[in-house]
Amino acid sequence: MTSLQNRRSAETLEKHLAANKYERARKKSQKLFVFVRVCSWLKNSFLPCASAFLVCVVFLSAGNSFAQTRKKTKSIVPAKKTKVAAKNIISNLPKVTQIDAEALKNLIVPNGKPLLINFWATWCVPCREEFPDLVKIGADYKDKIDLITISLDELSEINGDVPKFLAEMKAEMPSYLLKTPSEEAAIAVVSKDWQGALPFTILFNEKGEAVYFKQGKFQTEILRQELEKLATEGHLQK
Amino acid sequence: MKRMSVLITAIFAVAAFISFNNVSAKDGLAVGSTLENFKLTDTGGAEKSFNDLKGKNGAVLVFLSVQCPVVKGYDERIVKLAADYQAKGINVIGINSNSTEVADKVKTHATENYKFPVLIDKGNVLADKLGANVTPETFYFNEKNVLVYHGAIDNSRNGENITENFLRAALDSSLGGKAVAKTSANAFGCSIKRLAKN
Repeated sequence: MTSLQNRRSAETLEKHLAANKYERARKKSQKLFVFVRVCSWLKNSFLPCASAFLVCVVFLSAGNSFAQTRKKTKSIVPAKKTKVAAKNIISNLPKVTQIDAEALKNLIVPNGKPLLINFWATWCVPCREEFPDLVKIGADYKDKIDLITISLDELSEINGDVPKFLAEMKAEMPSYLLKTPSEEAAIAVVSKDWQGALPFTILFNEKGEAVYFKQGKFQTEILRQELEKLATEGHLQK
Repeated sequence: MKRMSVLITAIFAVAAFISFNNVSAKDGLAVGSTLENFKLTDTGGAEKSFNDLKGKNGAVLVFLSVQCPVVKGYDERIVKLAADYQAKGINVIGINSNSTEVADKVKTHATENYKFPVLIDKGNVLADKLGANVTPETFYFNEKNVLVYHGAIDNSRNGENITENFLRAALDSSLGGKAVAKTSANAFGCSIKRLAKN
């Protein structure tokens, strides 16, 4: 009985050992299987993905640097254009005619239309400030009034700062530069109300009567009101 | 009542318009008028009176500017004139009425360029009183503070080909006890940048 029991227990032990062996082998083969699967996944999925990712990174960085280069190029191009534009302005400077006090006398006589005259200089800050408004008024009342500007800059600026400023302002009105041995005498020719300060703006009706003047910066609204007044009184051609 | 207020408003509006349009007209002190004594601060901040600064034969007020190129063109002649006539009892006093020019710059400019006092006319009160509009523009008052001459220094802004020395002629006539032949001449230059008033 005891030997039978011993034999059974030996058999059980043997079975148990065999089962353990089998289990270990199964686990080993399972690990191997996982390893093989991982290798296979690396080969089939990860590596192509990684390669694709790398390609994308390279492509994006290349694209970015290309965009930056393009941006730089773009910023250079307008600068070149600006230089060209500046060159054009300089080469197409408006003509400024030199006049003396005698010519000024003839110039301030209206020629069938109201005459608006602005005395200015490039060194005069308020003159520069009001100039865009003057250009606008000139455009708005084109053919209805005559507008001229008379610069009191030094003669040396007749082909320099004076036409350059006029070009910047896109001023198309006839422009003159007064060169006189005596500003005092020239001022007296224009108006008894002008004390000689710049800017000075004066509006004559077609009969040569001064209907508006302003020493110092003019107020656009007031000057326009005066022009409209001339229009309603029938002084402006329609 | 409503009509009345509208009428008053309209009158004020017209008056304001007329006065605005002629703001630079020849208002101010007429030649032959007497100047009341006034006080202004100099570039060092000290208060100075006209009567204390004038010479025994009067004073010339010159309206100046730090930035105006026409003033720059005249600076040398102004300094020479001040020296020449100080010896004859007429003192030159500079006035700066430009609201756009800060006191520090006025001080530096005066120290660098002039040997006579420069007063700061804050709020252009004196310029309004005299009717000064230009820089440079001069007012010569004799020993009795009577305005004898008003206007340009001479007829050339850059000093070339001066044919008429308006101010010197007036000063010499006055000092010689003669009548001044030309009592005013238009000054050419920059407009005085007045304080905007509401």
